[in-house]
Amino acid sequence: MLSQDEYSDQYNSSESAATGDDDDEYTGRPSLPSVHLRVKPAPPQKPNAGDSTSFDPSSTVKGDSISRVFGRAEFSYLMLKPDHTSRPLWINPLDGRIILESYSPLAEQAQDFLVTIAEPVSRPTHIHEYKLTPYSLYAAVSVGLETNDIISVLNRLSKVAVPQNIIDFINNCTVSYGKVKLVLKYNRYFVESPQADTLQMLLKDPEIGPLRIEGDDYNATSTTIVEGLVREKAPSMGELTIPGTNKGSNSSAVAGGQAEGDRQHQSVEDLFTSVVGLDREDDDDMDAVHSFEIAHESVEPVKKRCQEIDYPVLEEYDFRNDTRNPNLDIDLKPSTQIRPYQEKSLSKMFGNGRARSGIIVLPCGAGKTLVGITAACTIKKSVIVLCTSSVSVMQWRQQFLQWCTIQPENIAVFTSENKEKFRNEAGLVVSTYSMVANTRNRSHESQKMMDFLTSREWGFVILDEVHVVPAAMFRRVVTTIAAHAKLGLTATLVREDDKIDDLNFLIGPKLYEANWMDLANKGHIANVQCAEVWCPMTTEFYNEYLHETPRKRRLLYIMNPKKFQACQFLINYHEKRGDKIIVFSDNVYALQAYAQKLKKFFIYGGTPQGERMNILQNFQLNPEVNTIFLSKVGDTSIDLPEATCLIQISSHYGSRRQEAQRLGRILRAKRRNDEGFNAFFYSLVSKDTQEMYYSTKRQAFLVDQGYAFKVITHLQGMENLPDLAYATVGERRELLQSVLLQNEEAAGIENGDDAENFVGRGGGYVKSIKKAKRTMGSLSSLAGGDDMAYVEYNKSKNKEKTRNPLIKKLYYSKK
Amino acid sequence: MPRAVKGVLVECDPSIKALILSIDSKSHNIVLADLDDEHLLIDVPMLEHVKRQLDSQLAENTFKPAELDDIQRK
Repeated sequence: MLSQDEYSDQYNSSESAATGDDDDEYTGRPSLPSVHLRVKPAPPQKPNAGDSTSFDPSSTVKGDSISRVFGRAEFSYLMLKPDHTSRPLWINPLDGRIILESYSPLAEQAQDFLVTIAEPVSRPTHIHEYKLTPYSLYAAVSVGLETNDIISVLNRLSKVAVPQNIIDFINNCTVSYGKVKLVLKYNRYFVESPQADTLQMLLKDPEIGPLRIEGDDYNATSTTIVEGLVREKAPSMGELTIPGTNKGSNSSAVAGGQAEGDRQHQSVEDLFTSVVGLDREDDDDMDAVHSFEIAHESVEPVKKRCQEIDYPVLEEYDFRNDTRNPNLDIDLKPSTQIRPYQEKSLSKMFGNGRARSGIIVLPCGAGKTLVGITAACTIKKSVIVLCTSSVSVMQWRQQFLQWCTIQPENIAVFTSENKEKFRNEAGLVVSTYSMVANTRNRSHESQKMMDFLTSREWGFVILDEVHVVPAAMFRRVVTTIAAHAKLGLTATLVREDDKIDDLNFLIGPKLYEANWMDLANKGHIANVQCAEVWCPMTTEFYNEYLHETPRKRRLLYIMNPKKFQACQFLINYHEKRGDKIIVFSDNVYALQAYAQKLKKFFIYGGTPQGERMNILQNFQLNPEVNTIFLSKVGDTSIDLPEATCLIQISSHYGSRRQEAQRLGRILRAKRRNDEGFNAFFYSLVSKDTQEMYYSTKRQAFLVDQGYAFKVITHLQGMENLPDLAYATVGERRELLQSVLLQNEEAAGIENGDDAENFVGRGGGYVKSIKKAKRTMGSLSSLAGGDDMAYVEYNKSKNKEKTRNPLIKKLYYSKK
Repeated sequence: MPRAVKGVLVECDPSIKALILSIDSKSHNIVLADLDDEHLLIDVPMLEHVKRQLDSQLAENTFKPAELDDIQRK
């Protein structure tokens, strides 16, 4: 990566770059109407021979009286362009950060561009921050941007001339990335590049050279063979249309030769997408690509070798020219319309008419599933969908049936309960990561199913909630399933460990990341008011807190009676407003204690499936049930569009992802388009404890997405609530005693099937199959002919459990 | 004979009071009198010491965004 020293060393002669007054105009690209493109940095002058010192802001800049204060970050030498007010961004020469004024009229286009070339760091209302990183530039190149385009557009948008070291940085990062592509077409693998010399270089490589196959019967007419390389026209979006978009007619018109006229009126919207390379047919010479063929079995070594010599290969799937894999009869239903941002993300994926592998980041509830389905409908080959739990497996299946024309018999579900295959040549399989990555013994049936999965070629694989899966498991999944294109979907591309970068190479670059606030403003996701409620610790609890082990401390601050009261008050308040409330607690002991005291339903890992469904249905339909308590099992993939209020009483330490996923539970609120509707997200925190630390850390991600957390130090009217729990000192003492009696395990976090710790367990999930039992008996006794009374011995274990009387009443009386 | 000791009246949240008492429990030379839930009388010379201790203990519970950058950089 870049060290700061490198930056300042590369930067020589600041004055000349800043005041450089070259009158060149940018040409070749449609220009922004409101900006005069007359300023361009002069090429930096080489330092004089006598001038031995490299650039150091503190010494060469005259500066004023306060320059010293800024230290290395003193950038007054960067001269503003004369028309800087109409340009929206700054670039920090030290670390490649880009600050964008999001209120500028150009901000929307600038955002589209920046999301492509840089990582969004923080996007609150008025000022956005982005960062140029090698990965983000790699992603930019992979969607077809070229180095010069990046620099010229940046220069056009920047208030100051783009610093030379940033230009060098972009050059360095983009020179080798994305130049080599591995394309599968006509069922053969080709290494492809727009530059013949790159391929020549690869062929001279001692490891890659011998792996090449001479094209024998390659008879496409538009190709010529130059120096042993096959040369042909570059792929273009052509007549490929993404279903569900009404842009279809438009883009084929471009291909039909009206490119010139169309470009005129699309110029503003398409300024940045056209840079991505839609209509370039006229420039034949530059857009030719060269390729040579390699054998199937040498794909892995070539990929590895290219990685080693810093020419990472991009994988593309030319699905329209894939004739060996049968087509799947799948299309979006005519009634299905996809939203503009979904279309945008898909256009990044299918930008040149081929399918690129990569990751699409959309907020929870913004329709990730539909993006996946539309992509599958575009490719129209056999598809495999992998998700995290069997609940989401059923949801995916149901969504496919809802949005597109696929026949139910072509959808197969592969979970521990269900092992179906589809009968036709092509079809769709929905499964979980753990089923596929399992390395332990399998039952006969699932082994047969796995053989089925591994024996065939898949056109497309959708990886849902891609952030939860660790690298090792991914490698296994990716290697066992032969898929041509991979699409990762996630809402929160953050991990507390540093495994995110692995995804770049295992799946592909991040193709698109949506802006949460933008979607909320347009009504695609709900507006949420976030609040952090500070609950003081009572004296007795805090005394114990100070003397306990760290694990026990957790339990004390979760069970803080003031927190309990705040929770009770908020539930009461929001139930009166008619909200549907979900209360989250990671800690099962607290979950049960809270729920039973407040007489509410709760679901945790140990709740049987039937009961879960029953509770969830009651929550959705029964006006009597307005509050449920969920443990971590509810973090992801539970779809409850009725919920409008969230209260969080305990959480997984400082996990930013969990916070975002939980917020996601209310983003898809049904009522979100009501006038003035707001969803509420409360996080209850015990003051002066470790929880404060974790809470702030957890919020970091959402704050970066532009959410503001209000701090509530006092809930008005809480003392006057009738039946307030733990109102007397005696009750609080009692609670403290019972908490202290709990062992440390109670303070731990639930182990169960949720996204967070699903990770390490691999396939331990597969149920053991009951062995057959052999008994002797006569035919008549088997038929019930013997004279005997039947007694049921094995009563369901569930029924023996003691239950909360309320749950008992509501749940069993219905039967 | 009655003895007069000069002290500082400290008014604070119950939790902070508990913290001060726990600091005091090591040496027993800080708190002169435990008045009620929110009030303590503290020995004057020890005031600065208590402030420093409190700052450092409470800082443990405060998250600095810069730490996140460190995590990401590692």
